[in-house]
Amino acid sequence: MAEKTIQIEIKRQSGPDASSTWEKFEIPWKPGMNVISAMMEIAANPVNASGQETTPIAYDSNCLEEICGSCAMVINGKARMACSALVDKLEQPIRVQPLTKFPVVRDLAVDRSVLFENLKAVQAWVPVDGTYDLGSGPRVFPQQQEVAYPLSNCISCCCCMEVCPQFNDATGFVGAATIAQVKLFNSHPSGKVLKEERLRALAGDGGVQECGFAQNCVQACPKQLPLTEAISDITRDVTLQVAKDFLRA
Amino acid sequence: MATAARPDASQTSNPVGRGVEPLRAGKGNSFLLRKLHSLSGIVPIGAFLIEHLLSNFEALKGPLAYAEQVKFLNSLPLVRFLEVGLIFIPLAYHALYGVYIAMRGKANVIYYPWSGNWMYMMQRWTGYIAFVYIIQHVVRQRFMGVSLPEHPGAAFHKVQMELSNPWMLAVYVIAMIAVCWHFSYGIWLFAAKWGITPGANARRRFGYLCAVLGVVLAVMGLASIYAFVGPNYKNAPADVMPAQTMLYAPSSPGASLS
Ligand code: HEM
Ligand code: SF4
Ligand code: SF4
Ligand code: FES
Repeated sequence: MAEKTIQIEIKRQSGPDASSTWEKFEIPWKPGMNVISAMMEIAANPVNASGQETTPIAYDSNCLEEICGSCAMVINGKARMACSALVDKLEQPIRVQPLTKFPVVRDLAVDRSVLFENLKAVQAWVPVDGTYDLGSGPRVFPQQQEVAYPLSNCISCCCCMEVCPQFNDATGFVGAATIAQVKLFNSHPSGKVLKEERLRALAGDGGVQECGFAQNCVQACPKQLPLTEAISDITRDVTLQVAKDFLRA
Repeated sequence: MATAARPDASQTSNPVGRGVEPLRAGKGNSFLLRKLHSLSGIVPIGAFLIEHLLSNFEALKGPLAYAEQVKFLNSLPLVRFLEVGLIFIPLAYHALYGVYIAMRGKANVIYYPWSGNWMYMMQRWTGYIAFVYIIQHVVRQRFMGVSLPEHPGAAFHKVQMELSNPWMLAVYVIAMIAVCWHFSYGIWLFAAKWGITPGANARRRFGYLCAVLGVVLAVMGLASIYAFVGPNYKNAPADVMPAQTMLYAPSSPGASLS
C-alpha cells in the first residue's frame, strides 16, 4: 500500500525585497502532525512536489504549544498559529502564507516590531525600576485578578491586527492587542500610576478611535482575549481623559 | 525578533521602517474628529432622521395633513438657521468624513465572513448609498422645482411627481432601507464605541433593540412612500394651501436658501 502523504503549498520569498512564488510539497503523513511539524519534515528533506531540491522554509516558532506567539501565519486563508493548526483538521492542499500586513523577512517569517513599538508607546508595563527596594506590591483582589488574567494571556502573535480591517497602511491603527494591554496595566494597582499617560497616548493618531468595531480581532485571537470589551472600556476611558484634560487645560 | 527594516529606517517617520506605522502616541487630532463624526451620527443627524420619518408619516393622512406638517416645520423659530446649523453642516461633515473613514478601511469579509465583519462592511456600503441618495434628494426636493417653505401646500404633489418615476421609486425604497440600517446599526456602534455597552451580553441585547428600531423606522418610511404612490391619494392637487410669506425672507428671493 502506498504511503499516506499530505499536500502543502507554501508562499515563499527569499528576502524582504524579493518577489514571492508558491511552492508545492508532498510529504509523508504522520499522526498528530501540525503545520510546523510538516515544515520540519520539509527541512529534513528539502525536495518539492516536482522532485526538485529546494531550501528549507524560514519561519518563526518556538514553544510548539501556542504560548510563545511566534508562529502566526495565514493558513488556508485565515490568520492562526501554525503550531496548533493540526494537519488532519485542515483541507488539503494546505496553503500557507506569511501574515499579509507585516513586512516579510523571508518565507513565512515576518517583522512584527510594530506591536513592540505600540506597546512601548503606551508604556505597557508596571514601572517598578528604582534605586531602592520598593517592598512587596499592593494586594490584588481575586475580583481584579479575574478581569486581569484573561488580558494577561496575550501572546503578541498579531493575529488580531492581521484580521482587522482598520489595521492597514492608511490608518496606522494601533490594533486590539495594545488596547487590551492598556486595560490590563491600567487595572494593575501599581501599573495604574501611568494610567493617564497611556490613555493620552491612545488618543493620538492611529489610536482607539480608528476601531470600526468589526469584531474580527476577538474571533481570531488564539488566546480568547476579551478584546471588544477592552476596546469599549478603554475608548470610554480615553474619551473621559480627553474631556478632563480639556477642562483642566 | 526578526526585522525587515531598511538601513534607512531612521530617516522615515515610521520607526519600524516599513509596514503599518506604529501609534503616534498623543499626537494629532483624529480622535476629536472621529468622536465628532460618531456623535454627529446620533445628534443632530439621527435625531433629524427620526423627525423626518415622523413628518413624512403624516403623508398617510393625505395631502392637507402633509402640507400642515411642512408648514409647521417651516414656521419653527430660526428655521433657516436650524436647517443650516443642525442639518446641513453636521450632515456634510458626517458624510464627507464618513467617506474618508470608509475609504481607509480594508474590508475582508471574503477571508473572514463573520457577522461583525459583515456589519462593518454594510455600514460602509449603506453610508455610500446614503451619500449619493441624500445629495440628489436635497438638490431635487429642497433646491429645485417649487419652493416648499413658501408653498407647503405643494409638498405632496412634488413628492408624488418624483415617485411617479419607477426608477426614482426604486431609488427611494433602496435608500430608505439603507439609511434605516445605517442609523440603527450606527446606534449600536455608538454604544459599543463609547463604552456604554462593553459587555458581550449587553451588546447582544442592545443589538436586538437596535434591530427592532431599524425595522420600525424602515417600515414607517416605506409606508410613507406608499402613501404617495398607492391608490388613496392619486393625482393630488398641485397646491392645497395658499402661499406662505417667509418669516426671514431676504430681499432677493433668488439668494434665499429656500
Ligand atoms: C442619514 C444620514 C446618516 C445618519 C443618520 C448616520 C448615522 C450614523 C451613526 C449613528 C453612526 C455610528 C457612529 C459611530 O460609528 O460611532 C454612523 C457611522 C458611520 N457613518 Fe453615518 N450616518 C448618515 C450618513 C452617512 C453618510 C452619507 C456616510 C458616508 C459614507 C456615512 C458614513 C459612516 C461611516 C463610515 C460610519 C462608521 C464609522 C466608524 O465605524 O468609525 N454616514 N453613522
Ligand atoms: S473590533 Fe474590528 S476594527 Fe476594532 S480592533 Fe477589532 S478587528 Fe479591528
Ligand atoms: S490579543 Fe490575541 S490575537 Fe492579539 S496579539 Fe494578543 S494573543 Fe494575539
Ligand atoms: S510556536 Fe509558540 S505559539 Fe506556535
